[in-house]
Amino acid sequence: MDESLIILIVLSLCLGAGCWLIFIWAVKKGQFEDVEKPKHRMLDDD
Amino acid sequence: MSALPERICSHCGISFRWKAVSSSGDDGSQAIFCCRGCQGAYRMICDAGLGSFYDRSERATPTVAEAATSSYTERDLAQHIVSDDDLCRIDVLVSGITCPSCVWLLERMLGRVPGVEYVSISYSGGIASLRFDPERVAPLELFSVIARLGYSPRPYSADQSEKEARRERDDLLLRFGTALFLTMQLMAYSYALYAGYFQGMGEGMKQFLQYVSLLVTTPVVFYSGWPFIVGAWRSLKTAAPGMDLLIAMGALSAWLYSVWALFGGQETYFESAAMIVTFVLIGRLLELSVRRRAMSGISSLYAAAPQRATVVGVGGNRTVEVDEVRPGDMLLVRQGERFPVDCLIVEGETEVDQSLATGESRPVLFVSGDDVRSGCVNVAAPVTVQALRPAGQSYLMRVASLVQMAQAGKPDLQQLADRVSGWFVPAVILLALLVCAGRLLFLGESAAAAIMSALSVVLIACPCAMGLAVPAAVLAGCSRSASLGIILRGGDVIERLASVDTALFDKTGTITCGLPGIIRLETYAGYDAAAVLQAAATVEEQASHPIARAIVRHAAEHGYQPESCRDFRAIPGRGISGVLPNGERVLCGSRSFLREQGVSLEVDSRYDSAATAVLIAIDGCLAGCFLLSDQLREGARGVISGLAAERMDICLISGDHQTTVDRIAAEIGVSSAFGGMTPDQKLAHATELQQRGRRVLMVGDGVNDAPALASATVSCSLSGSSDIALENADVIITGDDLSRIATAYRISRATMTIIKQNLAWAFVYNIIGIPLAMTGLLTPVYAAVAMTASSLLVSLNSLRLMRFKHNG
Repeated sequence: MDESLIILIVLSLCLGAGCWLIFIWAVKKGQFEDVEKPKHRMLDDD
Repeated sequence: MSALPERICSHCGISFRWKAVSSSGDDGSQAIFCCRGCQGAYRMICDAGLGSFYDRSERATPTVAEAATSSYTERDLAQHIVSDDDLCRIDVLVSGITCPSCVWLLERMLGRVPGVEYVSISYSGGIASLRFDPERVAPLELFSVIARLGYSPRPYSADQSEKEARRERDDLLLRFGTALFLTMQLMAYSYALYAGYFQGMGEGMKQFLQYVSLLVTTPVVFYSGWPFIVGAWRSLKTAAPGMDLLIAMGALSAWLYSVWALFGGQETYFESAAMIVTFVLIGRLLELSVRRRAMSGISSLYAAAPQRATVVGVGGNRTVEVDEVRPGDMLLVRQGERFPVDCLIVEGETEVDQSLATGESRPVLFVSGDDVRSGCVNVAAPVTVQALRPAGQSYLMRVASLVQMAQAGKPDLQQLADRVSGWFVPAVILLALLVCAGRLLFLGESAAAAIMSALSVVLIACPCAMGLAVPAAVLAGCSRSASLGIILRGGDVIERLASVDTALFDKTGTITCGLPGIIRLETYAGYDAAAVLQAAATVEEQASHPIARAIVRHAAEHGYQPESCRDFRAIPGRGISGVLPNGERVLCGSRSFLREQGVSLEVDSRYDSAATAVLIAIDGCLAGCFLLSDQLREGARGVISGLAAERMDICLISGDHQTTVDRIAAEIGVSSAFGGMTPDQKLAHATELQQRGRRVLMVGDGVNDAPALASATVSCSLSGSSDIALENADVIITGDDLSRIATAYRISRATMTIIKQNLAWAFVYNIIGIPLAMTGLLTPVYAAVAMTASSLLVSLNSLRLMRFKHNG
């Protein structure tokens, strides 16, 4: 039982680390640069 | 760990005690460095064959501070200095400002430098406005004072501050995201450990979970929490305890305690350390967004400032940075470009969109000899202009610095909060130590319990809420009023405006537009009003003169829309002509213009000499005459009724005849009106009221109002006012709507209410929290949550101002 728990914890850490890397990528790519404009963009004419 | 001996860096020459970076020189000699950067620089210098640089005996040993400022020369800085009477002003972007205590420290230290007359640092922009006596202190010295405190100064320009803000935001976001991710993982282990604590758990499993907790907490404390640790170090170095010190102390002590407990086989509290950091980072992120919102007002002004200008010279045109333009330079402003500096038109005629300066978007005709303000758009044709002022002193920059001062100025209440924070931090540290010692020695508790309650005291006392209480509300109030077209020139204006009980209004140009409106239309020779209005609207539509606009507006109010007009011609200052769709030729203009065009003016006999007359001829025959006169400004009645509803005494003071003033006063519903007043009488009237204990709001636009404006408790001008009135105004209303003055008053009242709520909350929170923490009822986790909740509450409470409605 303990062994499976340990495996699961390590797995969850790996999964989380993956998400964290994606988050870092998003910040570096400027995804959070402007969180106001994009939501209005679909209402613009062009 | 034993302290390392003090050593001297081979490159920069500072003494240091940490582990050295060493490398071997070409000649085999050993060199040591304080950091990799110095090592790199040393290698570069040696590789370039300039190693003898280090042997020069006259080489002064530079300090870190000098290294930080040496990239600027006096000449570089001179470009950014604005002279202001016999003092000079410079704006400095200071990076590293993380909390109100940083602002407090910098202001005190800079204020002590001899020759510095005025220091104000905008927390939101991180911009320090310094006024100093150039005879007594050099700007470079001020830079080194800032650098010695551990902050990095840079001369301010819009672009740099934007980049800085972006870098700061990304950095904060990364640290916060990391902390959030790891803390969430950590909480899962913590819940398992809590369950294990109550239900029992295998020793091996418990150990494993605690080790994993250590693994995920360490980056939270030392990466995400790094800004706090750096801030705390800075506090210690300068012996100026601040917020960061409290937070770093809390997080580090929880972490150290848990590591010690882990190896001692006891319960760990890693989640406390991680949560302090995570929650405070949330607060910082929120704070940053309040600051960014407030900053956007200023940025839009800077954004309108053109960065380049075209100088006309003998060798052809060249493009230069706008800072390089000197008064007297000849510039070319093409169609569609903004005027880079305040200038005088020397060649050409064009129409100018002055919406930035006056709020009026319809272009106005400018001819040679007229002066144009920077930032206005050249709509019609290229013109050659002569620069009147350098960019730093041009209209846009003057307005921009007004807004900036608005954010830097602080109400007296803020200084109170500053004073409190100053003694608060050492008091808390002392209290925490006392609690720890007391519980250990007198109550005989375990070291763990004593340390935990000391930790709670430190955490609960973090005066985040107190530090935020005033700035957050002032920022929200200022930025909301800015978006409503009200520029408040200082945070303290909010406090003064809220206390006003008497309002004085100038008449001409303030209550009235100072612009013509149609008061009567006469028709002649069998033409009816319909035909005259239709013809006039069609032709005048093409012109941009204020009188033309008044006529078109008047016609539109009566339901006549302009038709298409052919062969339009305008003779500036005289009149216009055009052909209607039905072929009739229309002339509009002054009497002399029509007479020149051969129109017989015999039938025109009776009109009021006080009003301006615009005559209209259709096919060479006089058809009508518009009489124009000054009219009430939009919102004039609104502001009077709005302020009267707040139980304010209102009075009209004007240089005009008593009868005219009485008429206008009756029209807007003001009972007391004084006419025929000279500037000094206005001033005397305002000061006399103040001597009787009244708090006076003076609203005026002209040069004759300036003395009264300067002396009033709060002064207010409209954006189209004379420069001197604007410079003396605490409140500036952009656009024409006078009723915004009433809104400004209500916003200031609302902001003061919010500030009082915030401060009351911050104090109550500490008064309740600290005793609870001392008795050990409040553990660090709850303290961290409570602290963040209170900071959030204060920030959100301030953000309520952002929803303030103009007429609501």
